[in-house]
Amino acid sequence: MKSEMTMGRMRNKKKMGKKMIASIKAYLFLAPFLLFFSAMVIYPISLGVKLSLYGQRGARMWYIGFQNFVTIFQDAKFWESFRIPLFLLTIQVPLLLFCALLVAFLYERMQKHRGAFYRFIYYLPNTIPGIVTGLIWSYIFSDSMSPFRSVIDSLGFSGIKILTRQHLPLILLVIILWAFTGYTAFVIYSSLISIPKEFSEQAQLDGATFWQIAFKVKIPLLKGVIITLFIFNAIGAIQVFNEPWMLGALVVLPSNYTPAMYIYRSAFSEGRFTYAAAMGLILAFITFLFSLYILRRAAKQMLTGESR
Amino acid sequence: MRKRTLVTIFMVVLALFFIFPFYWLIIGTTKNVSQLFQKSLLPGIPSHFLQNVNDVFTYENGVFFHWLANSFLYAVLGALIAIFIACMAGYAFRCYEFYGKKVLFILILGFAMVPVYATTLPIFMFFRDLGLINTRLAILLPSFVNVFGVYLMVAYWNQVPEEIFNAAQIDGANDLRIFFQVGLPNIIPGFITQFLLSFVAIWNNFFLPLVVLNSRAKMPLVLGITTITDPQGFPVYNLTLTASFFTILPLLTLFVVLQKYFKPRLYTVQ
Repeated sequence: MKSEMTMGRMRNKKKMGKKMIASIKAYLFLAPFLLFFSAMVIYPISLGVKLSLYGQRGARMWYIGFQNFVTIFQDAKFWESFRIPLFLLTIQVPLLLFCALLVAFLYERMQKHRGAFYRFIYYLPNTIPGIVTGLIWSYIFSDSMSPFRSVIDSLGFSGIKILTRQHLPLILLVIILWAFTGYTAFVIYSSLISIPKEFSEQAQLDGATFWQIAFKVKIPLLKGVIITLFIFNAIGAIQVFNEPWMLGALVVLPSNYTPAMYIYRSAFSEGRFTYAAAMGLILAFITFLFSLYILRRAAKQMLTGESR
Repeated sequence: MRKRTLVTIFMVVLALFFIFPFYWLIIGTTKNVSQLFQKSLLPGIPSHFLQNVNDVFTYENGVFFHWLANSFLYAVLGALIAIFIACMAGYAFRCYEFYGKKVLFILILGFAMVPVYATTLPIFMFFRDLGLINTRLAILLPSFVNVFGVYLMVAYWNQVPEEIFNAAQIDGANDLRIFFQVGLPNIIPGFITQFLLSFVAIWNNFFLPLVVLNSRAKMPLVLGITTITDPQGFPVYNLTLTASFFTILPLLTLFVVLQKYFKPRLYTVQ
């Protein structure tokens, strides 16, 4: 018995030794990533937290605890800046998902080459930088260069300008739908074609039409993809910056048009750096809440797969 | 039959919608400013394309080529290093049971979606204290981190079958050799896809350069083209359009040539 216990202890020691060696090797491979990760993600976030606890005037900074956050919660300009993200969340994102779903189902019905042709064309808008997208569309909608101007004038609206602050949400809607419909449709389509044929075949035998099958069988199966896409788009809506920024070059927009713009302006135009840092943290936290669903799913998938 | 033509009309109208800005951009490059103000949907007659190209290339003593070179430098070097170290990290998760493995993975996942607006301001202060503001390193260093890329790399590595590693171990290869000679070749499709995604993301990145750069010479294309102004400080529309055209040309070429690697993935890898 004594020798068995000793053998057991020796075996455990051997396992621990193995794990130690494995850990050293693993961390050697992880080292470059961990170095940059700590320096460019962890440290900035902790610095951001530290900054958010300080007041600031010019180069002077002094500790004020949570005062920044109190001020932010009372800052109407900050909360007003969420109007555009909210508009995008409630109107643009559902519209995008609806159009993308429709297009994805149409892709599925097409013969390979026709479908591939459309998938290629529809994806193109997503290949160009958001800045260039915003730039080109801002010119297309600008009253000095818009090809729509003559159409609008001939309809009798020659007094009404196209690129105004009032019209901007609608303009943003068009731009974002233009940039992301093809990409989103492709993502949905990728998931669609991996649904086993048996599901639709069974429904077909029961006499369902293509669209009935689409709604009652396939969309429920696509739930995960659709929710994930919704969240990615929601996060993008909260952080929207590039497109309003470019539009802001041609039409006067307030500094708090979107949260990200307000943060940037506060930091670099108004010199309220620590205040902006605090707002950045709040934005990051809201984003984190939205991304929890995705992270949980990804973690579950990974960790259950890892327990091999 | 009617339904089919309806669908076709719908798809064609959508296709025209998606193509239209590209068309408008291209004909815009053939126009000078007064032709642009005529708002026609036809190419400029006479075409000012060559004049525009010349003006863009000679703008500010050819700063355009600095922008072009910067974009390539940032995107190629940034993506290469970011994905290579993500690859190494993914390999560690695949092949070793190490202390802190689960915790580290959760940590990585948790920070995978940190918005740039939370990290960029502190990075600005951090770089300012290090004297790195307005240097190329200020763009490169943050680009070397692709946390989501590490997560995806772990997924790619998990698809490499156990036997491959076992066989190499039995043959007596040490860990570095296994990584380079056995592991990497099996991960190439994933590597290329991630490299492309990272390349495009860095090429398109506007906010970071906007914050940390203030001299034109170090700017990438996406930032540089927004600074094309006349002596009074107003944007020059036709030149900005021409510069935009050259900004998207490499990306479009990349997409057309390497289409199959652009297959987007959400959080799974197939």
